[in-house]
Amino acid sequence: MSKEQSTKVSTPTAVATAPTPEIDTSYFTTIATSAAASTTFRSAELVVEAAALPLSSDSSLAEDLQKHREKSLRGRIKIGAKGMSGPVIKITALVLIALTVYGFITFDYKNIDFFTAVAKTLHNVRVMFTQPHLVYNSFPGLMWALLVTFALGALATFFGAIVGFFGALLCAKNLANPIVGNIVRAIVAFIRAVPTVLWVLIFSVAAGLGSVAAVVGLTFHSAGYLVKAYSESIEEIDYGTIEALKASGAKYWQIIFQAVVPASIGYLTAWTFLRFEINFANAIAIGAAAGAGGIGYDLFMASAFYFDLSELGFITYTVIIAVVILEIVATRIKAKVR
Amino acid sequence: MDGKRETIEKKAHGMTSTAMTAEAPLLEFQNVSKIYDKTTKALSDISFKVSEGEFVSIIGPSGSGKSTILRCINRLVAATQGTIHFDGHDIGLADKREIHQVRKKTGMIFQHYNLVNRMSVVENVLHGRLGHKSTISGVVGFYTEKEKEKAFEILEKLGLSDQAYKRCDELSGGQKQRVGIARSIMQQPRLILCDEPIASLDPSSSKVIMDHLSDINKTMNITCLINLHQVHVALKYSQRIIGITSGNIVYDGPPESLTKDLIYEIYQSNEGELITDVE
Ligand SMILES: Nc1ncnc2c1ncn2[C@@H]1O[C@H](COP(=O)(O)OP(=O)(O)OP(=O)(O)O)[C@@H](O)[C@H]1O
Ligand SMILES: [Mg+2]
Repeated sequence: MSKEQSTKVSTPTAVATAPTPEIDTSYFTTIATSAAASTTFRSAELVVEAAALPLSSDSSLAEDLQKHREKSLRGRIKIGAKGMSGPVIKITALVLIALTVYGFITFDYKNIDFFTAVAKTLHNVRVMFTQPHLVYNSFPGLMWALLVTFALGALATFFGAIVGFFGALLCAKNLANPIVGNIVRAIVAFIRAVPTVLWVLIFSVAAGLGSVAAVVGLTFHSAGYLVKAYSESIEEIDYGTIEALKASGAKYWQIIFQAVVPASIGYLTAWTFLRFEINFANAIAIGAAAGAGGIGYDLFMASAFYFDLSELGFITYTVIIAVVILEIVATRIKAKVR
Repeated sequence: MDGKRETIEKKAHGMTSTAMTAEAPLLEFQNVSKIYDKTTKALSDISFKVSEGEFVSIIGPSGSGKSTILRCINRLVAATQGTIHFDGHDIGLADKREIHQVRKKTGMIFQHYNLVNRMSVVENVLHGRLGHKSTISGVVGFYTEKEKEKAFEILEKLGLSDQAYKRCDELSGGQKQRVGIARSIMQQPRLILCDEPIASLDPSSSKVIMDHLSDINKTMNITCLINLHQVHVALKYSQRIIGITSGNIVYDGPPESLTKDLIYEIYQSNEGELITDVE
């Protein structure tokens, strides 16, 4: 073991001969040289350390000192926990970078000139935000549409929260049977892996495109999200509290509503509001994509149908103001449920 | 329906207690062993009895199995071998409903209080009643005026009535532990199990807590079984001390005959290695 390490430490060639996948090697050579420099420094340091100890006459001591230290290819002492997470993260990052590069190379740019494109985009943005007006929609109509979108988001959050709560009770590690918990977690992970819009489209097969499919689809994804968020909040609470009530003869639902809910209500409301914000945004997108109505649909008409940038600007402002008001209200409520 | 079951059980309870007070103890461990995860032996072949009204302390080093003994009684953990009898129940054979009865009759007090921090002091005290209530009224937190009056009476007794509407996370450790005691008295238990009730408290709060426990034991005739780390506290308050070392009882007797040497034996250490103020 220690022999192996000493070769690693003393010979920088080990670094060069180490299997390097087909990546630019210039990076590694620079490291190799710097590693050589740092290695000599480090071994000198170790000698000093060993000499300072009273038992330095025993030559095995230096080896003993080395015994538990693991060194990287560069000869530096490792400090991370053992496991595959390091390599896995590196590989993931490399794959993502490769895909990005590939994407940019193979894009169909349609001979757009970059600078004119940027200039024109800026111009469009300026028109949108400096000259907002309302021609195709009436203001009350727009408010109604906003209310519809709000209602879509709220309904989905409400149903999602109810399903999410009971789902969370089934999979929170401090409450649930481990087998049931794992099954629920797996189902929920699957639900979350499919994007919201896809769920809406899936349900529109049965319900037809429109608000019903939108609410059901949004609810589905919300429930999946909230089961995870709620169950993790519930896992945060002190098990002792649950145990204390259990020991006094309290029944399951009494423990849930007298200890679990009060202890985690702050987190639960925070997650619910966060999900409501997401659902509101999703409801805008789905209003356009699934014809569920609401302000998203008006936005879609203004842009894709009337090509009216100013109308688009006005609707965007409305959405932004609505979201800000929502955020303020949410913050107030969260502060109350401290 | 719940009420009916309760009256039947009260009759049964009356019978057992009149029939048994004469000879049978309130709590009896017979050759109890507990093995966790098939490997960790926490208790090996333990036998002892506790009579009604006794104040018994369990002392022993960390990991010797003190908490395990208490938890076997209300079946927070199930004993691996042996039988435990409590107030006419055979804990090992008890079904879910019987375990519920046992838990109603045993209060438990914890080192870390285990209160619901966001709720008020009275609400936490009233939690002691949950085992006696129907599921639904417990879920919505509906308590009768009588129960509330009782809760305030207990708080008064423990010197906490001025804190009644405070949230529990605003209290000091000593106050929290008094709320813990109030909660278990609210249960009207026959036995109170205390798992290191004063381990997180300063000496003066510790005294207050121990005095209250001692008072409850005397005035309400509630049997107390207390795990303690402080030998001098055990010596001062208990009628009887049980010393355990790695899952075995090495001492069971009155505090007067617990000699220094025996204490060293319980803690498996030599003279001069313990911090105790026993003289
Ligand atoms: N839930 C558990 N799972 C596995 N082993 C456990 C569990 N609880 C306790 N043990 C083990 O059983 C033994 C006795 O533990 P117990 O908690 O009863 O000791 P204790 O005397 O209360 O200690 P302390 O004074 O530190 O609280 C210990 O070796 C402990 O590691
Ligand atoms: Mg313990």
